[in-house]
This record gives sequence, C-alpha cells and structure tokens, in this order.
Amino acid sequence: MEAASSERRAGTRTAGRRLAAGRRVEPAAFLFLAPSLVLFVVFIFWPLLRTVYLSFHGSDIVGRPTIFVGLDQYQLMLSSPTVRDVLANTFLFSLMTVVPSLVLAVVIALLLQQRIAGIGVFRTLMATPFAFSVATASVVFAIFFNPGVGVFNSFLQLFGQHPVGWLTDPSRALASVAVTTVWLQLGYCVLVLSAGLGAIPEELYEAARLDGARALAMTRHVTLPLLTPTLFFLLVVTTITSLQSFGQIHILTRGGPAGATTTLVYSVYVNAFAFGNSNFGLASAQAMVLFVVVLAVTTVQFGVLERRVFYR
Amino acid sequence: MLLVTVVIAACGSSTSSPPPNPLDDKASPPAGGVELQFWHGFSAGANQDATNYLVSQFNSQHTGSIRVTATYAGNYDDTFAKYKASIQSNQLPDLVQIYDIGTRFMIDSGTIQPMQVFIDHDKYNVSDLEPNLLGYFSISGKLYSMPWNNSTPLLYYNKDAFQKAGLDPNKPPRTLAEIRDYAQKLTVKDSSGNVTQYGFGAAIYGWFLEQLTAQADQQYCNNGNGRDKSASKVNLNQPTDVNVVDWWTKMVGDGIALNTGRNTTDAQNAFKAGKMAITLESTGVMRGFQSAVKFQLGAGFFPKPTDTTSGGPIIGGASLWIVNKKPSYVQKAAWEFVKFLEQPQNMAYWHTHTGYFPVSKAAQSDPSDVAWRQQYPLFNVAIDQLHQTKLDKASQGCLLGVMPATRQAAEVGMEAAITKKSPPQKAMDDAVASIQPQIDQYNQAVGKS
Repeated sequence: MEAASSERRAGTRTAGRRLAAGRRVEPAAFLFLAPSLVLFVVFIFWPLLRTVYLSFHGSDIVGRPTIFVGLDQYQLMLSSPTVRDVLANTFLFSLMTVVPSLVLAVVIALLLQQRIAGIGVFRTLMATPFAFSVATASVVFAIFFNPGVGVFNSFLQLFGQHPVGWLTDPSRALASVAVTTVWLQLGYCVLVLSAGLGAIPEELYEAARLDGARALAMTRHVTLPLLTPTLFFLLVVTTITSLQSFGQIHILTRGGPAGATTTLVYSVYVNAFAFGNSNFGLASAQAMVLFVVVLAVTTVQFGVLERRVFYR
Repeated sequence: MLLVTVVIAACGSSTSSPPPNPLDDKASPPAGGVELQFWHGFSAGANQDATNYLVSQFNSQHTGSIRVTATYAGNYDDTFAKYKASIQSNQLPDLVQIYDIGTRFMIDSGTIQPMQVFIDHDKYNVSDLEPNLLGYFSISGKLYSMPWNNSTPLLYYNKDAFQKAGLDPNKPPRTLAEIRDYAQKLTVKDSSGNVTQYGFGAAIYGWFLEQLTAQADQQYCNNGNGRDKSASKVNLNQPTDVNVVDWWTKMVGDGIALNTGRNTTDAQNAFKAGKMAITLESTGVMRGFQSAVKFQLGAGFFPKPTDTTSGGPIIGGASLWIVNKKPSYVQKAAWEFVKFLEQPQNMAYWHTHTGYFPVSKAAQSDPSDVAWRQQYPLFNVAIDQLHQTKLDKASQGCLLGVMPATRQAAEVGMEAAITKKSPPQKAMDDAVASIQPQIDQYNQAVGKS
C-alpha cells in the first residue's frame, strides 16, 4: 500500500495517464456487478442499517420499533448483570476453539503428508467433518455428551472414572461446546492446510536436505514459514466463525447451564427471537457491539500478525 | 438506573376498544368457499398426523364451503415468535394454536376474537368441558381461546426398580420428602462407587416449578396470579419455590438425583434407559414411555411440595385462537372448525392418538375412549388427578405477558442453584430481578401498570 501511494505521488505523466485510463468507468461494469450488488444491499447493507436504526429505538410488545431512545439500549446492555459473563464467554469460546483447531489441524495436515500405504483413506476421513452441518454434528455430540446414557461417560466409567456433567456442569459446558466446534472446524482447516502444504515447492526441501536438515528442522524452517499465509487466513476465518457460532450452542446447551455458554451471538438471539422476547432494540445494540468486536479483532490480526506472514 | 423510556408503546387501537362483533358483519363468503390458514406447532409425528387426519375429515365434510390448510409453524416457541412477526408484516393466519403461556400476550395483542363471542352468539354449550381447562383460558368468566391439546404433569416411575428396592410398586411417592426417601433406597451403585441407577431425575424445566407452586396452592405471580388484574411481579423467590429448588439442589448434591440439564429429551432418555427410577413429565409422553421402556411403567399424581390436600396441577399445553383481522365469514368458518375439533368422537380420536387430554366429559365417555383407557389404565391417572383438583387462582395458573421469558428466567435460577453457582435463595432472587425489567416494560407498553 505504502509503496503504491509513493509511486503514485512520484508518478510521471505517462503513468498518470495510464492510471486515469484505468479508472474510466465502464457503464457495462455496473450491469455485471448488479447481481452481487443487489444481494449485498438486500442481505448485508440494508439489514446493517436497519440494525443501527433498531438499536436506537424502543419496541412495542410485538417488536415494532416505537420511539427514539438514544443510547438507552446500549446503556441497558452494558449495565446488565450478565454482560461481563457474556463477553468473557465469547472471548473464552473463541480462544478454546481457534487455538486447538489450528494446532491440531497443522499436526494432522503434516501427518497426512506422509507417504504411506492407504494415506488417501485417512485424508478423506480427516476432511469429512467439513461435510457435516453444524446441526447434525451438534445433535450427534449431544447424544455423546448425555449425562445418563452418553458414550463419553460410558468410556470414563470403563476406565474407573466418575461420570462428568459435560453439558450440565457450568464449569465444563463451554469447553464441551468448544470441543464440538473444534471437531466441526477441523476438517476445513486440514483441507486448507493440506492445499497449502502441497503448494510448497519440492526444491526447497531438496535444498534443505542438501544442507543437512532433518525432518524436524525442515518442518520448522521450511514448512511452517511457508505455511504462514494459509495459517493467517485460517486464523482470521476461524476467529470470525467462532465469534459468530450459534447452532452448536443452541442445540447443545441453549446458552446454559445458568448462562455458562451464553455468548454475544446467543444473547442476541435470545433477546430478539427466543421466548417471545421480541426485544429487537436491545438485540440490535448487542449485534452492533458484536460487529465492532469482530471488526476490531480482524483489524488487530491484520495489523499485528500479518507482518509475520511470509508471502513468497 | 431507570430506563423507563425504553419501551413506551401504543398497540394502536388494540386494547382500548373491543373489536366489533364479527357476527354482525354481513359480508358474504366468496363463491368457491372459504380458505382457512391454520398454524400449529406439531412437527412430523403422531401429533401432526392426528391433526392432519382431523383436518382432512373436516374438509371432506365441508367440500365447497370451507377448506382448512394446516401448516406447521415451528415448535411452540417458534409458532409464537412467528405469530408476532406476522402481526408486524400483517400476514396473519386465520386460526392459530398457541401455548398456554402465550395467553396474556395473545389477549393484549389485540389481534384475536374471544371464543366467548362465538359461544354467546351460538348458545354453544361449554359446560361439558373440564372446568380446570376452562379455568386456565378464561379471564373474568370470558373464554378467550378453545382448549385443544392439553396436558398435566405426572410422576412416572420404574416399578421393577421399586420392587428390587423393597418398595411397594403400587405406591408412588406423593410429596417431595417422600421422593427423597424413596430415591435414597432406589439409588444403586456398582463396586467402584459409580451410580448405575439414580433414585430421581427430571429436566430442569420451568413448567415443573410452576406446577409445584400450584401444587402447594401458592400463586406464581401477584394480583391473583394475574387474574384480578395484570401481574406486576413474580413470586419465584417465595418460600415455597425456594424450598423446591433447595430440595432439588440437595437431591443432586447428595448423589441420589441425576441432573440431565434443561433438555426434556435427555431426561426422558435417561428414564427410559433405567438410569433414574422416578421422573417428572407431561401426560403427553406416556405413549412414548410405554412403547420404549423395558420395565413395568408406573404413573402417579404429580408430587406436592408438602403434605397438603389443597392445591393441584395447572393445565398445560396449547389452545386455539381465532384471529379478528379477518372478514366475518372467515372467523365464522374458523369457529366451525374449532367446534368440529371439540366434537366428542373427534376429541376421543385426538386423545387416543396423541395422549393429550380428552377435554370434555362427553369425549371421556365416548366408547372408543373408554375402550382405550381399559387397555391402558395408566391414562386414568391424569384424569383422576384433574378431577381431584380444586379450581382456584393457584391452580388456574399465572397469566403474564412475558411468561415465556419468565419460565426461562426460572430455569436459569434453578440451574444456578442445582449446579451450586448460587445458593437457592440468591439464585431465585436473581431470577426475579432479571425478569422484572421485562415485566415493567411489557406492562408499560400495553398501558396496564
């Protein structure tokens, strides 16, 4: 970016003319952009503006916006006794899903690079979670986690351990939902990382081998640095996904027990749609906060971490 | 910090003036007959099948005049939310099934025609309906919606486990203290100290707390359970409720009850698998239990918090509402369909195919219903229980605009206590505090505070 702007400043006449020519607006371009523009306006920009509008208004019992209330909804949200818990849950949940997803995915993707018989089968298997919908996987995990008849507790008891309230114990529920989420994200991460690994040129390994590098050193000095663009992409994407996670929380815990898995997104849902609440003003204020959080985290990731990314 | 300005709303003309009597309107139906949109909350399964069967029966009897289209609008909560959204977008159905706890909202929404209007006009006889059912859905003697799929809670137990523990399998516990005694005897551990069978376990379901409150003849919200005038406060932190939560917390803490969380299916599965010997559930699951369990199933009256003769369960389930924003011929057609569903033989069909209550005495004495209860005598328990319940404000149940959210707040409170996050009194105090702003906002919005 910096380079581009200094070039523009120091641009010669010819370069300037070229730039101007490039900027001439082709009317036909709008025609081709129209479908995506319409979709963006209808499904992104209009709802966003509507959310801003609603967050400054009260509502009647049906949920219709009524009078302008300024920042009351924001104030109400920030003064709520549960706001700290909700934000903490959101942060912890992201931490507990993003870090394990990426670490495990790197390990698995590296293992899948091994040239052994039947590796194709393993590659396919490791990518399958990607094919599961959030709802399906959550229903299956709910059965695994069941305190009375779940398979996880049966395993524990098989090894002489006491059964655990995976989803019913407030100190464990968030981690249990995170486990489900990691499983869900893993397939996608492994798939993307495998593609990243495949794109690393063989010559670099050959050169490293000639320099006397062993497997571990090659991973450290060749593979991982060249994988940083992929890792960075996955970091941004999985962070956003986990901040916006809804299905697994809804199906596994409905935000419980006692609010232990209520994240910002889930709180938005509860205020707007659950239990006949129809409190769209408060929910919209929360959605705006979520928007700002996602924007901030992504900006920080781009600003701080991208510098360490090694683009070839 | 008072945010009184958050919601001040007028519901238009809704609550102030009563809607005009639809039966005075002389508009005539279209030549091809009336199309009725009926929304219900039954997903695919026995209940939806029974609904569709009755709808098709009605349609074939009214060919050319009325045609009902039944649509699944999501579960009870979703149907309720969808109805609210449809008020906003003005795409209302003609007839809708709404759960019990949506009653106050439906009345306040100004979009419904009270059943009483049709009943009075037709001189329709409702005296044969169960008084407790009429009690829930009537306000000041005026019936607003028609009882349809209604249920009460019961205590279910594993007779085989009772026998093994040396308890009389024909004597289910009647009070919470008795459940505790029984549960201690019914809890079985293996050699390594793991519990293989808990004495008790039930879903952390707000409905049960509402029921136990009524069982103790106490009111769940103020102003005569919201029946004298709009309730402005809930009594979740009154001694009865705190004692119930305290009892539950100790049962789980002492390892004689299994906590399966809020999801009712999880508790049902644990009971069916023999993981817990006593559970609480609706009459509506009896058929499911009967076909799934490998032990002898027992059913008893829902327990009372203490040993008293007063108090009793509240009617649960859903009822039918006719929407008033429609031409008179549509409302009259909806009323025809409602009457059809209430006919004894149709109600008997409904009862025997779903497990919901036979709402009228005539339905209960319909030969098909009598024969069915002879085959499955456990179904008499619910009817006996209802007949032994004195109808008063406590057993009428709380009417509250934000009742669905209140049930949720109660569950959070119960959960906080049972999982030892807060002591029972504080947990329920917090629950009351958390719901109060919503009650205030609602009452302000409908101008009733």
